[in-house]
Amino acid sequence: MPGGFRKINVLSYSILVPFSILMLIPLLLLLSTAFKSLPELMNVDFNWIPKKIILSNFSKAMAVAPFGRYYLNTIIVVVMILSIQVVTISLAAYAFSRLRFRGRDALLILFLVQLMIPPQSIVVPNYHTITSLKLLNTKIAIGVVYFASAYGTFLMRQAFKAIPMEMEDSVKMDGGGGLTAIVHVFLPLAKPSLIAFSLVSISYHWNEFFWPLIITDTVRARTLTVGLAMLTQATESSPEWTLTMAATLIVVFPLLFAFVLFQRRFIQSFMYSGLKG
Amino acid sequence: MQKSVFTSSFRNRIKPFLYLLPALFFLFIFTYYPILRAVYISLFHWSTDYPQKVFNGLQNYVAIVQEPLFWKVTKNTFLYSISTIFLSMTLGLVLAIQVNKRIKLGGFFKVSLFYPTLIPMAAAGLIWLWIYAPIYGLLDNFLRNLGLPNMGLLLRADTALWCVVLVAIWKHVGYYMILFLAGLQNIPAELLDVATLEGANSWKKFRSVTFPLLSSYTFFVFIINIVDSLQSIDLIYIMTQGKPAHATNLIVYYIYQQAFRFWNMGMGSTLTTILTLFLLCCVVAIFSTIGRRVYYEV
Repeated sequence: MPGGFRKINVLSYSILVPFSILMLIPLLLLLSTAFKSLPELMNVDFNWIPKKIILSNFSKAMAVAPFGRYYLNTIIVVVMILSIQVVTISLAAYAFSRLRFRGRDALLILFLVQLMIPPQSIVVPNYHTITSLKLLNTKIAIGVVYFASAYGTFLMRQAFKAIPMEMEDSVKMDGGGGLTAIVHVFLPLAKPSLIAFSLVSISYHWNEFFWPLIITDTVRARTLTVGLAMLTQATESSPEWTLTMAATLIVVFPLLFAFVLFQRRFIQSFMYSGLKG
Repeated sequence: MQKSVFTSSFRNRIKPFLYLLPALFFLFIFTYYPILRAVYISLFHWSTDYPQKVFNGLQNYVAIVQEPLFWKVTKNTFLYSISTIFLSMTLGLVLAIQVNKRIKLGGFFKVSLFYPTLIPMAAAGLIWLWIYAPIYGLLDNFLRNLGLPNMGLLLRADTALWCVVLVAIWKHVGYYMILFLAGLQNIPAELLDVATLEGANSWKKFRSVTFPLLSSYTFFVFIINIVDSLQSIDLIYIMTQGKPAHATNLIVYYIYQQAFRFWNMGMGSTLTTILTLFLLCCVVAIFSTIGRRVYYEV
């Protein structure tokens, strides 16, 4: 038996070690290039560790594009989306998990449609709606299509269903209604689901690209990912890779840093996001 | 008296909808209405040639099925989606099974496999564009060291799509691994112990205990996969713009080109309608077959 045990582990390592290294190569290349000088990069002999570590790529990137502004825009968009989502999904999840009414199942399926028709596939009509609402080039336009989340509603509904009836009854005894119950009982008790949803939502919208690209064309509203793409497309010929990678690092750093600090939280949240799907 | 009974029952009936109202409001404006609006606009000429909408019945649909590029894009999209879905799900499952064993460095493996999930698709596209860059890029460097010629794999019509597929797998496989891991950890240990006592080997245990119990997760991962594959637009926009010779032109990028490059909104809406119909058919097909059996909660 001990022999068999070891054999299984050898198999695991022989899959995991090479695969992890392959997966890390793009990250290592990003770090290596962002701190390299352009002449060294253009040397045909490739080396992973720069002979001289330089920081000027970052200051150059900050000078070429207003990354400070893009950061601010992205944070505003992400916070706006999440706070409104929490309101809409908690209310809907409460109705779906605690109230009986005609057409509940049909409505639940209607919500499900949003899971399968993601915003990327309906950009054309949504673009027209945003135009006629005169919201083109605004941060609200980036967020508003995500204010309702079928996914979040399902996640919270599962969590609310697991909360015992008695907890809600005690609120009712004190004369509180549904809203009081949501704020004082359901949300506090569903905290793990709420955190899971928040982390998934924040990561998704921090990284979102296509929709903001379509509806913004000024610095005022642009988010980080769009700014990054604009920066690289400004230089028509082959991009200056040291500059591009420095800018990319500026964009990906916050989430990756948060991930390294709170790996367990992140991984559990994303695990949970499937568990309750 | 009579009246108050009426109002209270009316209030009870209307109350659930008040809770649903905020969510439904946004769903209507930005999910249901756009689907219908795309269908409506698809019945018109509306482009730079026709600045005013002109009703044309189903002419856009006739034009699109006669367009060879449409079929090429459709074929590309299927090739791309099926290969990324199949490869990243299989790999995700294999990796989840390995990571699920209590082994040393487990945390390191999870982190190094999962981190691409938190990198924006657009940034991933840029990093890989640099990997694939001709001559100076990492891949050409590597091939040169092996004594192979410079390939410029992303620039060749026969390999470009697979270069993009590789990026999509790199980006998503860690997330699917985590989802499968959630499924694996939910399988009661007693069931596997019983199977061991009955003398089942590990393949048999996987086939008759683990895999069936994972079916709901497999289903969920599959759905997420279909939706994720639409996000390929970010990669295509950054890495290839559909080039070379439309070898990497996928449906969402094609819609983008028609609507926002050529400003042909009629055609953009026609394509949107076709894509939406396809996705809705997928929902119905999934729910009437595996969905009913697996997705017990809804």
